[in-house]
Amino acid sequence: MRAGSVAVAAFLVAFFFTQWWDFTVPALRGEYQAVFLTNGQTYFGRYYDRFGAYAKLEDVYYIQQAQGTDAQGPGDARLVRRGAELHAPEHRMLVPKTAILFVEDLRTDSPIATFMRQDRR
Amino acid sequence: MSAQRRGRDPVRIAGWWLRWALIPAALGIWASSNLDVHSLPFVGAERESAVLLLDGQAYFGHLDDSGESGWLVLHDAYYLQDAKGAPTNVAVALAKRGGEAHEPADGMRINRDRVLAVERMGLGSAVARAIGVEREILATKPGVLELNPPSIAGAEQLAVQRTAAERAIARGFSAQVDQLTKINTELVLPVSKADAAAITQKALADLRSLRRSALAALGAVVGLRPGDAEAYAASADARLEGQSFTNEPGVLLAPDINAVVVQATAFFSQTGDAAAKQLTQPRATPTPAGSPQPSATPAPSASPSPRP
Repeated sequence: MRAGSVAVAAFLVAFFFTQWWDFTVPALRGEYQAVFLTNGQTYFGRYYDRFGAYAKLEDVYYIQQAQGTDAQGPGDARLVRRGAELHAPEHRMLVPKTAILFVEDLRTDSPIATFMRQDRR
Repeated sequence: MSAQRRGRDPVRIAGWWLRWALIPAALGIWASSNLDVHSLPFVGAERESAVLLLDGQAYFGHLDDSGESGWLVLHDAYYLQDAKGAPTNVAVALAKRGGEAHEPADGMRINRDRVLAVERMGLGSAVARAIGVEREILATKPGVLELNPPSIAGAEQLAVQRTAAERAIARGFSAQVDQLTKINTELVLPVSKADAAAITQKALADLRSLRRSALAALGAVVGLRPGDAEAYAASADARLEGQSFTNEPGVLLAPDINAVVVQATAFFSQTGDAAAKQLTQPRATPTPAGSPQPSATPAPSASPSPRP
């Protein structure tokens, strides 16, 4: 009886602890990351390398290319917070690790990190 | 060895902790890593997921992701496709998986290697609302033991979609009327004014008739009985006359409602284009018929053979 209770408690504590912490150490990494994907897209946000098949990305931003006034010239690029799309996704996104090319920390003074920090306020 | 000594044996103590604490904890970590706690089948609001693929396609539905297998299963799947020129003022249209030529059954298995991201969909989003209305149209009933009960739109959302569809139909109608007006006022036509007026009047009458049929079809799709659908079409037709709703923000329509708009738009285009062709192409001048030729002398029919 006691042994069973300990087993159930250990399972539940480990389960919810893993959901909460994700085994990432925020102090050892940047505040925001850039996640480059195999299809050429890049997402910016808080990256959590979880156990299992998926990595987690929170507070996701991406660069949207808008057509500029000059049809021949490059379009205007702007940083867009994910969430205003037709399906109004929540602020967290699960990305299969197989779809990730590489992940980079953003410098704290990078324009994208600065924008994201100010946008969250 | 006494029971007391066995109880203090460090190997036994370590084995006990390994069996009853460390292994369950490892299982807890494994389960937590492979399960999205936000997707667990607790009682509550529906959990709709968006699965974004590497090729840019996105599918929406109830996701079953066991974690360790290489496949995701999506039930009750919907996806976005090109609006195909439907004047809904939205660049894309929602389609329900299952209506394709190969008529796939429910339960779409997606290779995780082709998945870009998985997201939880907002239940108030345009996609979720359109899916809810489609379920209402299809009279979807949630199962008693359904772990992820589908949310079904109410009369209010259905009315919003019906109004948006009416206005999309009106925009399709107006586009063809504008085109005919432009042809009549801005071009030098190779047909006489009387002919042009006759062609235009006939086309306008056909377009009005098509609009009314489309509204009746819309009434039938949203669940009106045939008599009520006709009455609704008559009143909506009168209400829409002279209105264009060109710059109104669009609404993502439920697939069945969108199908009515797409079909009506195609018929409007066919009718408008046919009238435009008649207006812009010179009528064939009747050529004088050749001098009457004597008709061929009827050949005598074969003499009836005697019946046996």
